[in-house]
Amino acid sequence: MRKVLVALFALALALAFALAQRYLTEEELKRIQAGGKAYAEVFVNQRPDQALCSIHRNRLPADLLPKFLEEQRALIKYPASGKLMGDWRKGGAIFNNLQKANCFSCHYGSPEHLGGDVGPSLEKYGRNRGQSEAVQRYTYEVIYNAWAFFPCTVMYRFGAQGLLTPEEIADVVAYLLDPESDFNTKPAVGSR
Amino acid sequence: MRKAVGLFLATLLVGVALAQGQVDPREEAKRQKQLLLETAGILPTELIVAQGEELFNRKGPSGKTMAECDFGLGKGVLEGAAARLPRYFLDTNRVEDLDSRIVTCMTRVQGFKPEQVKRSEVVAIAFYIASKSTGHRIQVRLLFPEERELYALGEKLFYARSGARDVGCATCHVTYVGRRAGVLPYADVLGKDKSWTHWPAYRYSNDQTWTMQDRIRACYGNIAHPQPALYSQPILALELFLAYNNNGAVVEEWPAFVR
Repeated sequence: MRKVLVALFALALALAFALAQRYLTEEELKRIQAGGKAYAEVFVNQRPDQALCSIHRNRLPADLLPKFLEEQRALIKYPASGKLMGDWRKGGAIFNNLQKANCFSCHYGSPEHLGGDVGPSLEKYGRNRGQSEAVQRYTYEVIYNAWAFFPCTVMYRFGAQGLLTPEEIADVVAYLLDPESDFNTKPAVGSR
Repeated sequence: MRKAVGLFLATLLVGVALAQGQVDPREEAKRQKQLLLETAGILPTELIVAQGEELFNRKGPSGKTMAECDFGLGKGVLEGAAARLPRYFLDTNRVEDLDSRIVTCMTRVQGFKPEQVKRSEVVAIAFYIASKSTGHRIQVRLLFPEERELYALGEKLFYARSGARDVGCATCHVTYVGRRAGVLPYADVLGKDKSWTHWPAYRYSNDQTWTMQDRIRACYGNIAHPQPALYSQPILALELFLAYNNNGAVVEEWPAFVR
């Protein structure tokens, strides 16, 4: 009896695996193995949402969007304290660190580094928007999981992928929103 | 000599840093090259090509030089050979680019053991062989099944999203061409920028000699994605995909001189 159950479970698992949309075939994954263990692993462990963005080359068909957005939304978690704005000084250290969040590389507005223009300018972000609960929540959620708003965008999913903790994201939210933050009081590098 | 060039470059770089942001990086590279030529009298690319030529004519343990090897157009024929790589080779039964074909030559024909093959020597020899393709058009084909399969894999890798940062080549080099994250705007690697023809190259900003293999590995490394091993199939797949999409482009100068 137990053996039958185990076999059934294995079969169900194999079926679920086969039905989930894969981007790379077994044959292709075998070739990728030649690139080394660490390189191959990220492709072997490609997530279903990553596979979907890869298959559709970052432009999801309209009929897939509602489910995709819903799944991405469900990944968002909040700080235990419930506070969406943390310490702006800590947030600045995260925002301006190339190895950490690397925000400035794509977004303009940092008083410490010249920003890029891949993402929208965030210059004086908090000054223009205020600190309402809605603005805090939106800012937090976009940083936590940008794909819940912009499917397949280049922006890292900091919370959903575990690159930053909820508390660290709240610190970055504070860096962007706090009226006292250097981000809102000091001129952006490159501004005239 | 290399050291003197490096020191000189460091001084130049202060000027580059100050001028950053306003200048077209390609124009700036041309200016830096001219400056270097006027002051040093010789370019680092020329030094490395000369070094590569010496290594090419060095006898291996088997007593043979690299002139005994076929780089795709026949034994010892170098003129235009690099512009037709990567390609499938019958003798190894696989697709090889310039770097891997050099390794094949050193190990199978010259008799070096694989662990004796130094990367710096492979790069110098690649610089030399590539220099014989300046002015030629990129002419890469998808004739053998192995070429077609590797191309298909390269295309998939180019459009893949993977790793903790969800990154992938196309996400910047297609979607954000011309936009900037860091110092340089994203090149249109499949289109007008013909990036395949920019490597191998000397990078004056970091005093580095790179082939396309190093360039691809650095792309991954810069965005914190694990890198494919040198000479490995995923690198070759991406190279074949890039080269084929730049077919017909004229090689302005190999090795190139870039930021």
